[in-house]
Amino acid sequence: MSEESLAGLAEGIRARRISPVEAVERCLARIRKSDSRFHAFIRLDEEGALGAARALEADAAAGRWRGPLHGVPLGFKDLCHLHGLPTSCGTRTPEYFVSAQECSAARRLLDAGAISLGKLNMTELAMGAFGDNAHHGDVDNPWVAGHAAGGSSSGSAAGVAAGFFAGAVGSDTGGSIRLPAGCCGVVGLKPTYGRVSRAGAMVLSWSMDHLGPLAWTARDAALMLKVMAGSDPADATASRRAVPDYASGIQGGVAGVRIGLPENYFFEGVGEEMAAAVRQAAQQLEDLGARVSEIRVPDPRAMTDVAMLITRAEASTVHARVFRERPQDLQPMVRARLQVGFGISAYDYLQALRLRAKLTRAFVREVFAEVDVLLTPVIPEPAPALAPLKAAAVDEFNARGGRFSRLTRPFNGLGLPALSVPCGFTAAGLPLGFQAVGRPFDESLLLRLGHTYQEAAGWHRRRPLVD
Amino acid sequence: MEESRQQQVELANMAGIIERLAGELALGEEPARFIAALEGLGEDEDEAPRDE
Repeated sequence: MSEESLAGLAEGIRARRISPVEAVERCLARIRKSDSRFHAFIRLDEEGALGAARALEADAAAGRWRGPLHGVPLGFKDLCHLHGLPTSCGTRTPEYFVSAQECSAARRLLDAGAISLGKLNMTELAMGAFGDNAHHGDVDNPWVAGHAAGGSSSGSAAGVAAGFFAGAVGSDTGGSIRLPAGCCGVVGLKPTYGRVSRAGAMVLSWSMDHLGPLAWTARDAALMLKVMAGSDPADATASRRAVPDYASGIQGGVAGVRIGLPENYFFEGVGEEMAAAVRQAAQQLEDLGARVSEIRVPDPRAMTDVAMLITRAEASTVHARVFRERPQDLQPMVRARLQVGFGISAYDYLQALRLRAKLTRAFVREVFAEVDVLLTPVIPEPAPALAPLKAAAVDEFNARGGRFSRLTRPFNGLGLPALSVPCGFTAAGLPLGFQAVGRPFDESLLLRLGHTYQEAAGWHRRRPLVD
Repeated sequence: MEESRQQQVELANMAGIIERLAGELALGEEPARFIAALEGLGEDEDEAPRDE
């Protein structure tokens, strides 16, 4: 395994081929050289990272291993609260989010031996699909300069792709892990709702928020998820289900796995190169033993509308104070989105929550009686050029973001696990990607499918030239 | 701060969609059944909607 991957780096540290200090210094050298272009970081914590690395190096020398991620450098979206570092949530206010509770998922990774390099750039308040940020700089796409990195976990995805860290934590309310993963050519996992605690992370929409890993490979994401997942007394929505060892069965292949390609909605209006790449990936999985068929799924537009309404209402409730007291601090597109939420009636919000339950039961029952995994494009088009997007009027910009996230948002409403996996490049060199969606809490199968595909297709061995 | 014309249209559209879909809801439907669906708990079948 290459030490460029999280799994390879963890193994290299354990085998003493590379020390935690060397791993951190390697990352810092890349960041110092290139982050003025990418803007992946809001706050780089060089001193903290090197101090932690030295302590972990001493532990390793004494034979004390903290956990499976001993010495592995990670980055954390700047809505994960960690003591000692401010949490801006992408706003202009350094300490926008103050919490007595550290982000449980991030803390678990650090307790397992990971090293925090700092806090990562994101779209303001985690709203926005493209990775632009007027306060902290637009995050650039590592593959083709000037193109969107995707949002809202823009720094998480771009930083992994640029080799700044081995993995990152992102959040996903309508696609905010999977969209930047798709734009930047890395793996991103939105776990099942409740699989990973959200305690200590900024709320955008408590009904739709998910935390999850971004990394180069499905194996890397499996290692991170194993540590991040599990019950948490600080988050009542965190499931008490046992957490599987996602990496242990990851080499089991896909023989007999029933994969469904949706006949409706998910390929409609999708760019030709994107659609062809996803169908080619399905063909490769079939060649590896999976059974691929077409399937008509319950119309996702109903769930998309329901999820959008719930998100808007909850986001406006949570962030009402900054909207009312300091609206000038917010970017116009964020103000516009919050404004809509204030106009939603309690009747519509509560009906939407009731509808969510009904639509989820129907989707799970109908789809997963026929297939084990749904395979769809994750973004409808490759990462668009950012400057023309930003030149649009606010309402048009937000409408474009809604269209860009229309393939991911239904699965936030449904709460189903969804894995974004790179599956090629356009002629212009931009990443293409698919999304694999599974039954509730069946992340193991998605990660196994992603790993099997990556090992066969090999796209993850290609890296962007960032220097 | 007032809603723009497009925001007003968006709100009206969302309300219309909810009104149309909510007609299919059964009396026993409630938000907690979402978690139950994910955890595989409770009834899998939907009860028929009734006039309220």
